[in-house]
Amino acid sequence: MTAFLIHNMAPLMFASLIVVMLFGYPVAFALAASGIFFGLLGIELGLLQETLFQALPQRIWAVMSNDTLLAVPFFTFMGLILERSGMAEDLLDTIGQLFGPLRGGLAFAVVFVGALLAATTGVVAASVISMGLISLPIMLRYGYDRRFATGVIAASGTLAQIIPPSLVLIVMADQLGKSVGDMYAGAFIPGITLAGIYALYAAGVAFFKPAWAPALPLEARTFREANGSSGIPSLAVVSLISLAAAVAFAKYKYGAPDAPTDEMLVVSTAVGVGIAFVAAVLNHLFKLGLLSRMAERVTFVLIPPLALIFLVLGTIFLGVATPTEGGAMGASGALAMAIARRRLSINLLRQAMNTTAKLTSFVVFILVGARVFSLTFYGVDGNLWIEHLLLNLPGGQLGFLIVVNLLVFLLAFFLDFFELAFIIIPLLGPVAEKLGIDLIWFGILLSVNMQTSFMHPPFGYALFYLRSVASPKDYVDRVTGRTIARVTTGQIYWGAVPFVLIQLLMVSLVIAFPAIVSGGMAKKAAVNTDQIQIQVPEEVPGTDGAPLEGQSASEPGAKDANKDEDDPEKAIERAMSGKSEEPAAEKPKDAAKPGAKK
Amino acid sequence: MMKLCLRLSRAIDWLNEQVGKLSYWLILAAVLISTGNAIVRYALNKSSNSWLEIQWYLFSFVFLFCAAYTLLHNQHVRIDILTGHLSGRAKAWIDILGTVFFLLPMAILIMWLSWPVFVDAYKSGEVSTNAGGLTVWPGRLMLPAGFLLLVLQGFSELIKRVAFLLGMIPDPAEKDEGPTDEELLAAELRKQRGEAA
Repeated sequence: MTAFLIHNMAPLMFASLIVVMLFGYPVAFALAASGIFFGLLGIELGLLQETLFQALPQRIWAVMSNDTLLAVPFFTFMGLILERSGMAEDLLDTIGQLFGPLRGGLAFAVVFVGALLAATTGVVAASVISMGLISLPIMLRYGYDRRFATGVIAASGTLAQIIPPSLVLIVMADQLGKSVGDMYAGAFIPGITLAGIYALYAAGVAFFKPAWAPALPLEARTFREANGSSGIPSLAVVSLISLAAAVAFAKYKYGAPDAPTDEMLVVSTAVGVGIAFVAAVLNHLFKLGLLSRMAERVTFVLIPPLALIFLVLGTIFLGVATPTEGGAMGASGALAMAIARRRLSINLLRQAMNTTAKLTSFVVFILVGARVFSLTFYGVDGNLWIEHLLLNLPGGQLGFLIVVNLLVFLLAFFLDFFELAFIIIPLLGPVAEKLGIDLIWFGILLSVNMQTSFMHPPFGYALFYLRSVASPKDYVDRVTGRTIARVTTGQIYWGAVPFVLIQLLMVSLVIAFPAIVSGGMAKKAAVNTDQIQIQVPEEVPGTDGAPLEGQSASEPGAKDANKDEDDPEKAIERAMSGKSEEPAAEKPKDAAKPGAKK
Repeated sequence: MMKLCLRLSRAIDWLNEQVGKLSYWLILAAVLISTGNAIVRYALNKSSNSWLEIQWYLFSFVFLFCAAYTLLHNQHVRIDILTGHLSGRAKAWIDILGTVFFLLPMAILIMWLSWPVFVDAYKSGEVSTNAGGLTVWPGRLMLPAGFLLLVLQGFSELIKRVAFLLGMIPDPAEKDEGPTDEELLAAELRKQRGEAA
């Protein structure tokens, strides 16, 4: 019996983990308790040193002083303030009017606004609820196919999972030991590509099944000029001028072949939008009448989200702010915007802080639980056991990727993203690295995969929130006065299916064409990331270009390079305790050297 | 006896409610400080390690001191795919077993182990190794203190579950937590749409 226990400790631990988690008690505590239980058992059996648990306070200290995780409350708070600021309503109304006159236009507007909200609020539930309450009734009113309408809303809402600054990517970067900035840069193009495929699907529907996605009738187009014209030509002119300015700027500033794509996109867009904004303001102030109502309106509603994107992603990509500071600036920006729109009340502020505090606490506690569990699990060589299992899969890299993706896809049915990230990812990361897989690419691949779980019937969160706002009974439409049939749950489920398939297509695309991910970063990777940090100040007139003193630890690029110096406490503790790898054992790159003493 | 326990439970709930409601303001403080750090560094090319360290002290304070508050509001994530449909009594049993075998042992052990770490830091007057960094002991104190609150809340939840099984109080898990963020957002959007009509 004892021999059996000693030899099978790791598999037993893993099996009991599953049982304990399914027990229905909060996961964080169940995880930590099973780590402690097996730790005591291991000490009893002589597998582990008696001092094992002395490392616990230090492990939690490492979680506390983790700069990256600080971004979690910041982005959560930003999203909670922003979702109530009225930005989503303005965007949906205006962009709906802009594209509505086209066949499939409302669906296209939903995808476009979904992507914009993803890059700002980043909360799946908020996007789905806003679109479900604002766009869905309009789509149903004018005869959209119900499955198509609900599917496109749920899917566009889940874009928040993959488009930066998503929490998923922060946690993924943290667990894989990579910089958040790189993870964001890598996810940028896959995220936009995915939105593009949704839009293509909408275009395909509009083309092949016109009855599913009719254009808005004339009477529903509200932003019309006094003379009855749509105002589109004026908008087209403004767009062309902005686009030309952005392209010219990109050519001028980033003409060099090694210019980073993400930075170029962000900065050039900011320049183009800035020009449109100035034009719209001048037109409005001096009543020039050069721009149509539509052009002015579109410019004004696009400014807030684009400004926030620039404030957050722009400063991160430019290296001006760390992702954590980017999150804080985004949160401050969201507060400023909510105040400017007179939407910020003390109640809303409290509500947002309350939710943020609870979310932060439960997320970090899952991590704490996972760290306690892994202290024992790595101690009994559990990571080696998993590694052995995965490395022996047939098919090498591809075999590993297929199995891991299937595993994550299935686990995502009943595990929360955070549980997956804190328990499974640290085990998969080192194996992926051994197989020569780029961890940024790997993280983004798994993020796209997990996004599916948000719209997979019957548990997908996006479907759940859409169900909660879509009318459960027949209702009389207040514009047309006609009775509109209720939205059935079956329609929502079936509507999601084509988008889940698109999602799986995207997973295979990322596997087949890794360049989708590296496109935003490949050029950057050739340069030492530390140098980029130093170069940034040089481009700013008036600074001497010296690296900022004492700052390197919180710079995104430098994060990786001095992981150990990053936490002097850890190094000291390590030296003192004489257990060389123990505190760092959970870091993927050190995971191959467990601290077990036999 | 049970009456006394229930009074104790109510006192703990009150304490953690207050701690939670005060702690969450630190999120706003952290947002503003972090924004300020980024702006000052960019605009004035200056930075201070103590202001950088304050960010994560605040973060740690929030997640440690709100852990009990989160438990009080039953918001720690559970996987209830197998147990979600059970009766209130069965769920109370799950919580009792979970508290006794999972929560209390782990929280007491961590509290126990982290106390001497604080005492060491306090006695030695340890200061952060970053130049101009903060004194370390307040950070070290947060760990045992946060876990103490969690242990207390664990006992309170235990008392409430037992009292429920004895038929002394209604099911504590059924407590009305007020509208969720999602419900509030939906309500506000509906109101605006209604007004626009």
